Amino acid sequence: MKFSFESLLNAGGSRLTYGLLNLRIFGWILYGCTRPGILVPSQILSQIIRIGVQAIPMASLVSLSVGFILAMQSSTELGKMGANSFIPDLVSLSLMRELGPLLVAIIVVGRSGSAVAAELGTMKVNEEIEALRVMAIDPIRYLVVPRFIALMIMLPCMTIFGNCVGLVGGWAVCTLEMGMPSSFYIMRAMQRPELWDLYSGMIKTAVFAHIIITIACYQGLNVEGGAEGVGRATTAAVVYSILWIIIADTILTGLFYFIL
Amino acid sequence: MSPTPKKTNPSSDVVLEVKDLVQSYNGRAVLNGLNFKVRKGETFVIMGGSGCGKTTLLRILIGAQKPTSGSVHLFGEDITKAPPQELDRIRLRFGMNFQFGALFQSMTVGENIALPLQEHSQVDPSLIEMIVKMKLELVGLTGFENFKPSELSGGMRKRVGLARALALDPELLFSDEPTSGLDPVMTAVVDQLTLDSTRKIGVTAVVVSHDMTSCFRIATHMLMLGNGPRQGEIIAEGTPEEIRANPDPFLQQFVRGEADGPIAFRLSQDDYLKHLLQEG
Repeated sequence: MKFSFESLLNAGGSRLTYGLLNLRIFGWILYGCTRPGILVPSQILSQIIRIGVQAIPMASLVSLSVGFILAMQSSTELGKMGANSFIPDLVSLSLMRELGPLLVAIIVVGRSGSAVAAELGTMKVNEEIEALRVMAIDPIRYLVVPRFIALMIMLPCMTIFGNCVGLVGGWAVCTLEMGMPSSFYIMRAMQRPELWDLYSGMIKTAVFAHIIITIACYQGLNVEGGAEGVGRATTAAVVYSILWIIIADTILTGLFYFIL
Repeated sequence: MSPTPKKTNPSSDVVLEVKDLVQSYNGRAVLNGLNFKVRKGETFVIMGGSGCGKTTLLRILIGAQKPTSGSVHLFGEDITKAPPQELDRIRLRFGMNFQFGALFQSMTVGENIALPLQEHSQVDPSLIEMIVKMKLELVGLTGFENFKPSELSGGMRKRVGLARALALDPELLFSDEPTSGLDPVMTAVVDQLTLDSTRKIGVTAVVVSHDMTSCFRIATHMLMLGNGPRQGEIIAEGTPEEIRANPDPFLQQFVRGEADGPIAFRLSQDDYLKHLLQEG
């Protein structure tokens, strides 16, 4: 059978299941790479700012707090064994492999995932999605794809930034409270993690970004029943995103632990 | 006085043709075998009471919904069987004015009108700006380019919706309840805009409404859909004069806006007692 972009972009017609949404997003991205004008950089940039940049302060605050908590909690137990020098290792490894990607993703679900579901849901209720279709503008291309690309770019960036802020939190506890020299903290925190630790965190982040944005858009575009429906979709977007992020995290951690 | 219909060639000037259209939900027919044609230059008004299937019919006509059976030919092409990319091509030839405007709340009035031009034409941004100004001038909203839809009144939003629907200079304009919820003066203004679109720009208009004054003011051809025992049937079709002269009691009750008549809003005493006994 001959492949055509049109069949991929219109897969399922007016029906929109979660699988079809994913298929059509990837169809539009592939099509956009071959045809100029399909993906509009200004739209992607505006979503990068709304979904990503504006969530940085909240994600930073959470990462800083986690850095504090990790250093303080571990110092209680490690101190008993005289192993306080391992605190920087523990903080940096925990943040890179696990806590950084997970916590930033959960913050983004609460802030940006819910906002996307509510925005698209309200547009559906106000017939704005219908108006786009009647104007021969595909809502997946015009509304979903820029948000998808924006989060796939921004979540890894925010996670790396969050990891750095978390390390600052750990540094503050180690140097100001325990009297550890800054040079020692920085050396241990930088030397211990391997490149793979960063990569594994980034793989998780990419999977989490995909989960957050596709679930938020799917829930938003399938809103039925007015304001009550928008509320239901927003709740569902947050609950299902967190649920699937934790399931995906378990699977990926298991995969990295047992196979790699 | 009703506008005079243009003289048309019966066969070649048909822009919209509906054949044996049926739409049913859970076995209940909402539209029951509709057949009608809209010719070029007409202002075709579809009337009917609440729940008679007007909005369902309009959704089918714009390709937003597939009917249970039957066909809808727009510009000679059957949109019920058209693949999505073909339907998009046909959609560029018509505009749709939604009941509540369906304006994009995150955009300004100017951006709303410019969107179809940016998406479907290779026109220079400065020219798009000029076209937006012209469309706003057409609907009497000069200088409102930078307003957000939330800053406008209901009537203004409907006019912006009309300007956006006319942005690509369509051959056919669909309007869903263009005057509902408006005061009499604003109703007259919106009616005048619909008339201007058909007379000055030459657009064919299909208007769905239950505002009788407005319907008779703008229509060159009218169609009445039934509800209740005559759900989904065409009760009457013709020019405004023919509709006024039609003796059908169902139609006359609707045109005169009378509470008593074949369109019952509550059960008769006998039916009510029978209903209560059945419930018991």
